[in-house]
Amino acid sequence: MQKNTSRRKFLETTAGGFAGLALGQILRAETANGSALHHRPKAKRVIQLFMNGGVSQMDTFDYKRSLEDLNGKTFDPGDGRLVESVTNSPGFKVLKSPFRFKQHGGCGRWVSDVLPNMASMVDDLAFLMSMNSPTNVHGLGSYMQNTGFTLPGFPCMGAWISYALGRINQNLPEFVVLPDPNGLPYNNLGNFTSGFLPARYQGTVINAGPSQSVRYLFPPKEAKHINTESEKASREVLRILNQKHLEETPGDSRLEARIQSLEMAARMQLSVPELFNLNNESKAITKLYGMDEKHTSDFAKRCILGRRMLERGVRFVQIWSGAGGPTNNWDNHANIHSELPHMTRQVDKPITGLIKDLKARGMLEDTLVIWTTEFGRMPFSQGQAGRDHNGGTFVTWFAGGGVKGGSSFGQSDRWGWKSETGTSSHDMHATILHLLGINHEKLTVRHNGIDRRLTDVHGHVVNDIIS
Amino acid sequence: MPQYLTILVLLFLLLGKGLCLAEVASQESWWALKPLKQTKIPVGTSAPTSWQKHPIDSFVAAKHAEIKLTPSPTVDRRTFIRRATFDLIGLPPTPEEVETYLANKSPEAPKQLIEKLLSSPKYGERWARHWMDVAHYAETHGHDEDAIRENAWPYRDYLINSFNSDKPYDQFVREQIAGDILFPENPASTAAIGFLATGPWDESSQMGISDGTIDKKIAQYLDRDDMIATVMSTFLSTTVHCARCHDHKFDPISIEDYYSLQAVFAGVDKVDRPYDDNAELADKRKQLLSRKRKLEKKLIPNDIFLKNELAEIETALLRVEKRWKILSSPSVSSSNGNIFKARPDGSFLSIGPAPQKDIVTFRSELDVEEVTAFQLDVLTDKSLPKGGPGHAINGNLHLSEVVVKVNGKPIKIAKAVADFSQNDWLISHAIDQNTDTAWGIHPLEGKPHRAVFIFEKPIRESKGKIIVIELHQLHGRNHLIGRPRISLTNISNPILEKILPLEISRLLKIKIADRTKDESKTLALYFAKDKNDRQLAMLGKQKKVYAVASHFAANGNFKPSQKPRLVHVLNRGSIHSPVKEAQPGALQCISGLSGRLDIKQPDIEGERRAALAHWITDRQNSLLWRSIVNRVWHYHFGQGIVGTPNDFGRMGDLPTHPELLDWLAFEFRANGGSLKWLHRTIMTSSTYRQQSTHRLDFAHRDADNKWLWRMNRKRLDAESYRDAVLQIGGNMDWRMGGPSDRQFNMSKGVHVTPNLDYIGFDPNASANNRRSVYRFIFRTIPDPLMQLMDCPDASQHAPKRDSSLTALQALGMLNNRFLVRQSERLADRLKKESPILKNQVIRLFKLTYHRKPNRNESRLVAKLARDHGLANACRVILNSNEFLFVN
Repeated sequence: MQKNTSRRKFLETTAGGFAGLALGQILRAETANGSALHHRPKAKRVIQLFMNGGVSQMDTFDYKRSLEDLNGKTFDPGDGRLVESVTNSPGFKVLKSPFRFKQHGGCGRWVSDVLPNMASMVDDLAFLMSMNSPTNVHGLGSYMQNTGFTLPGFPCMGAWISYALGRINQNLPEFVVLPDPNGLPYNNLGNFTSGFLPARYQGTVINAGPSQSVRYLFPPKEAKHINTESEKASREVLRILNQKHLEETPGDSRLEARIQSLEMAARMQLSVPELFNLNNESKAITKLYGMDEKHTSDFAKRCILGRRMLERGVRFVQIWSGAGGPTNNWDNHANIHSELPHMTRQVDKPITGLIKDLKARGMLEDTLVIWTTEFGRMPFSQGQAGRDHNGGTFVTWFAGGGVKGGSSFGQSDRWGWKSETGTSSHDMHATILHLLGINHEKLTVRHNGIDRRLTDVHGHVVNDIIS
Repeated sequence: MPQYLTILVLLFLLLGKGLCLAEVASQESWWALKPLKQTKIPVGTSAPTSWQKHPIDSFVAAKHAEIKLTPSPTVDRRTFIRRATFDLIGLPPTPEEVETYLANKSPEAPKQLIEKLLSSPKYGERWARHWMDVAHYAETHGHDEDAIRENAWPYRDYLINSFNSDKPYDQFVREQIAGDILFPENPASTAAIGFLATGPWDESSQMGISDGTIDKKIAQYLDRDDMIATVMSTFLSTTVHCARCHDHKFDPISIEDYYSLQAVFAGVDKVDRPYDDNAELADKRKQLLSRKRKLEKKLIPNDIFLKNELAEIETALLRVEKRWKILSSPSVSSSNGNIFKARPDGSFLSIGPAPQKDIVTFRSELDVEEVTAFQLDVLTDKSLPKGGPGHAINGNLHLSEVVVKVNGKPIKIAKAVADFSQNDWLISHAIDQNTDTAWGIHPLEGKPHRAVFIFEKPIRESKGKIIVIELHQLHGRNHLIGRPRISLTNISNPILEKILPLEISRLLKIKIADRTKDESKTLALYFAKDKNDRQLAMLGKQKKVYAVASHFAANGNFKPSQKPRLVHVLNRGSIHSPVKEAQPGALQCISGLSGRLDIKQPDIEGERRAALAHWITDRQNSLLWRSIVNRVWHYHFGQGIVGTPNDFGRMGDLPTHPELLDWLAFEFRANGGSLKWLHRTIMTSSTYRQQSTHRLDFAHRDADNKWLWRMNRKRLDAESYRDAVLQIGGNMDWRMGGPSDRQFNMSKGVHVTPNLDYIGFDPNASANNRRSVYRFIFRTIPDPLMQLMDCPDASQHAPKRDSSLTALQALGMLNNRFLVRQSERLADRLKKESPILKNQVIRLFKLTYHRKPNRNESRLVAKLARDHGLANACRVILNSNEFLFVN
C-alpha cells in the first residue's frame, strides 16, 4: 500500500488533480481486482461489535477453575509482583465467577451460562483468549483498541480501512457507527475520528433512537419554503450555475468533484431511507435477531441495520453496546452477578442471529465479524461482588472471512489476572488488516514527521486463528 | 550557494538515515538548522519587468527561469479584493467595499487595501483562528471525561489582541511559554501561557487514579509530552516527540534531549490559573498575599495597623457584641428524635442520629425589655459531615421556614439577610411561607454562616414572656443545621455582623490591662488577618485562564507538584525502564546555539520555562524564524514553501524555494518580527497577485503548482464559510472576545461528559451570530457541520487543513438548520433593500460573487425565486461553487 498510498497522496494533493468521488472510483477499480492490495484479501468488509466498559473475561469465556479454590482469600501472585487496581483500594480478595461454565461445540470452548446463544456457535468463532492493554483506564483503553494509541487524535481502524480500501458503494458512507441509544461510548466521537486522515474517512454516526438516519439528509422541517418541487428546481439551478462556473474555470477537478458530491447527496436521499426501512425484513429474521423481545430489540435492530449496510456496500460497520459512564454498560464495578447478565442478555441473541443470518446469505465468507471490548476485569473483588478494570487480559473473538472457526490463540495466567501470551491491540489490528489484504506495516501516512500506522511500530498477525 | 545546497540536500537524501549520528557531531548539515544569513536577491532573470522589483518575485522568477515556466498575469481587481479580504480577515468584502476599491485608480490602491485590512480588528480574529489550529485549542479536556474548561477563552482573546497589535513575534512566543514569569510589568501576559494547556488532559487518569501508581505516572509523562510537542512543533517545526522512545530516527534529536524538555515542564499541570490584568492590582495583591503568608506564620507586620486602629476595632466590636444577646438557657427540641447538646459558646450541637427532616424548636423565657430581631448562627463542628455546618453529606443545610411565636402569638418577620446564600436557595425562602423553598449555603460548606431575621414590629415589654423559634428543615436527605445558635437584639436597624470565634469573643471581654501577652497577640493576629482578608476581598476576584501552574488547590487525586517532579529518561518510552534522571535542557542540534539552558535555581519551576523561552526565541535559533514565515506563507498560498509546516526535519518536505524562505526569515527578524510587515510583503508581490487560472502545459509539468506559476484556488474553510454567510445575511454580531458561544443544547450526560445536541439547537439563537472564532469547541463532540467542512480534530496539532468535498458535506451545507435559516434571512434582507426581484438578484450576486449576474443567470435565479421563493434562490447561491471557492 505504500506505493498506493503515495499515489493517493499524489492524487489528493494535486491541485486540480482528483478528489472526492473521482478518487473513490479509481480506488474501487483498483481494489476490485486486488491490485492495490498487498495480498489476496479473505474479507471485504467488517462489522465490529464493541462492548463498552470492559467485559469480564473470567465470567464469560476465560474459565478459571483455580479461582474457586482461592475464593475469598487475599490475592497474591506470590512472586513480589505489584498488585494495583485503579479505582479499588488494596486488600484484594479473590472472587470466583458466580456463573456456571460448560464446554461447548466440537472445539470444547468453555462458555459461562450468561451467553447461551453464543455458546451454541463457538465452532464458528476464533478466539483471542488473552489480549492485553497497556492501560487500566477506559478512555485510554478505548483509544488503544480503536486507534492503536492511548492518546486522542489518531485515526481509528474504521477510518484507516476506509482510507485504504475506498468505497464499495456510491450511495452510502464507507464507515458507519451505530452507538448505543443511551449515549456515546467513552471518548465520545473520539473513537470514530479520522484523526489526521482526511475528514471524509471519519465514522458517520447514525443516531440510534426513533429517528435513526443520516444527519442532514433532508432539509429541516421548519423551512416551509422547501418542498419536493422547490428541491428539484433548486438542484437544477445549482447544477447549471456550477456547470457554467466549471466551464469558465477549467482544469480544476475539485469543482467537478463537488458537482458529483451534490449528485451523490441526492442519491443518498433515496438510498438511506431504503436502508432504514426494515418492513421488508421477514418475521423469521426479526425473530432470529430478537427484535421482537424487550431486552434484545434495540441491539437486534442495530444488528439488522448493520447487515443491511454491509449488503449495500458499507465497508466498515461498528455497533456499540453500552454508553460511557459508570453504569449501564460492561463496566461492572458493583456486582458482577447482577450487572453482567443485564448486558449479556441484550446482545447474546442478536449477535448470534447476525452471524447465522450472514452465513445463510453467504456473506459470512467475506465479512469479518469482530466482538471486542477495551480491557478485562480483575480476578479479585471490588466491594463485595464487583470487579475493577484489568488491562492485563481480556477476550476478543473473530468470525467470518478468513477466520478459522473453533480456533483460539493465547492464554492468561491461572487467575485471569495477566496475559501469558500477550496479544496486543496492534496484533489484533494487524490481523484484521491482513484479512482485508493489507500489510499493516505498509499502510502508512506521514503526519508531523512520522510515518504513522494503525499499528504504531508494533503488531504481529495472529496466524493461529486464520484459515 | 543554491547549487551547493542542492548537492548537500541530494547527498543526504541519498544517504538517508545512516548518517543520523554522524550529523549530531556536524550540526550544520541540515538546511533548517543552519544559521540564518542574508540571502542575495537573484537579478537579471528573463522575467517580465513587473517581476523584477519585488524580492519575492525575483526568487520565484529565478526558479521559473530554471524550469522554463512563466508567471500568470495579475488578477483583476475584483478577484484581488475578494482574495485579499478572505485571506486577511476571513470574510468577503461588502459590495460597497468592492465599488470603492474599483473606483480607486491609484497604483497604490492594492497597498491601501492591504493596510486597511491589516488595521481591522477582524484581522486578529482570522489569524488567531489559524493559530488555534496549530495549537490544537479546544475548550474541553478530551479523553473519556471530557469536562468543560470554563476559562480557556482568555487565551483566545490574548491571541486576537496579539495579532491585532502586531506584537513582535519573539515576544509573542516568549509570552506563550513563560508569560507569567518574564513580564512582571504586564501580568495580563499570564493569559498567554494558556498555550501550554491547549491540548487534551486525561481527567480520569489525573483525578481518578491514586498518586504514585503506574497509570498515574504514565498520565503525567504523556501530559508533558503534549506540552513539548505543542511548543516544539508550533514554534520550531520540530518533531521532538519522535524521540520519546528512542533517539529520533531521522533528525539529530536524542532521547536525552527529549527528556530534558520533559524536565523543563516537570513542575506544571494544566489547571485554571488566576491572574490580574493590570500591574497595580497585581502588585497590591502580591503584597497582601505575602502578608497573608506571614500572618499564617503568626507574624504580625509592623505596618498593618494605623495608630489607635486596634483599639478602635476593639471598641467597635465590643459595642456590637453588646448589641446581641445569646438566647438565655433555652430548651432545644427536635420533632424527629434529634438530640442537641449545649456548647460553651451558646450553640447547640446535634449529637443524635440526624433524621432526614426535622423541625427544631428553641424555647426560652425572655430576659430583655424589647426584641427587634433574632440572629441565627449555623456553626461548624468536626463531628459534622465535611465539618458542617449542615448535616447533609456535603455539609450543606436547607432551612425551609422560620416560625416565631411570643406567648403563643405569631410574630411576623419583615426581612431576612444572610452572609451567604446558595444560588436559587435564598435566605428570603426561609420566610416566604413556602416549605418547598429553602435557604442553603452550598458551595460554602465548611464555614460558619449567619442570618438575621428582623421582626415587622418590635416586641415590647417582652421581659418574662416565652419566645418560641421553630426552624423548619423539610428538604430531606439530612439537610439539617448541625450546630445552631440564636441571639437577640433590641436595636432598631440591626445589620449583619461578622461571626466572631468563641475565643476572640472571650478575649475581647477581658480588659486590655488584664490580658496576657499571648492573649493580646492572639487578638491582634486575628484582627490583622481580618483586615488583610478584607483588603484582599476588596481587590475583587482574579481573572482565570486555563493554563499551567505548579501551585493550586488539590482536586481529588490531582495534586500540585509544588516543586518540579523528578523526570527520568525512559528507555523505549516505558515507565518501567527509567535510565537516569533528566535535567532541564533544550536541543543540541541547532547550529550556533547551545542546547544548555542557563537555570540558576532549577527548583523554581518558572525558571525552567523562562530559560526555554529565551532559548527558543534566541536570534540564533534559525528554526524559529523559518518556521513562522513558512506558516504565514502557507495560509496565503494554500501551501508552504516547506509543505510540512510542523516538520522541518528529514521526514518533512524540503523547501521549494530555500533562498526565498531564508530571505523572508532574515528580513522578518530584521523588521522586528512584525507579522503585518510579512503579510504586506507577501501580498504586494506579483507572485501573490497572479491569476489562479489553470494552464494545461504547466499543469503537466508541475501539477502541484510547486513553482507558483499561478495562484492556488482555495475552498473556503469552515469558519470563513460560516462567517461569510452570517455577514451576507446581515446577521453578524461583531462583538469581540469573552466567553465562547455554545451552539448546542447541553444536558447531563451519563457521566462527566454532557450530552450535546447540535441539530436541535435553535437556529435563531443569538449564540449563532458571532464570528466562528468565538464558537465553543468541544473536543470529543465537535460541531457536525464544521467537522464535515474539515475543522480539524482538536486533539491533534493541525498545521494544515484538508479541504474535502463529500456528499455528506454537501448535505450538511444544504440542510443544516442554521444555514437554511440564514438563507431565509438573506432573502428578507434583499427584499428589504429592494422590492424589485431583478434588483434583489443583482444584489445577491454582488454580495456573494462580488459581480453582477449576466442575463442568463439573472433569468435563471429570478425564475427560481418567483416559482419557489427568494430564500430558495439564496440557498442555491450559498451552496454554489463560485461562492465556495476563492480564485
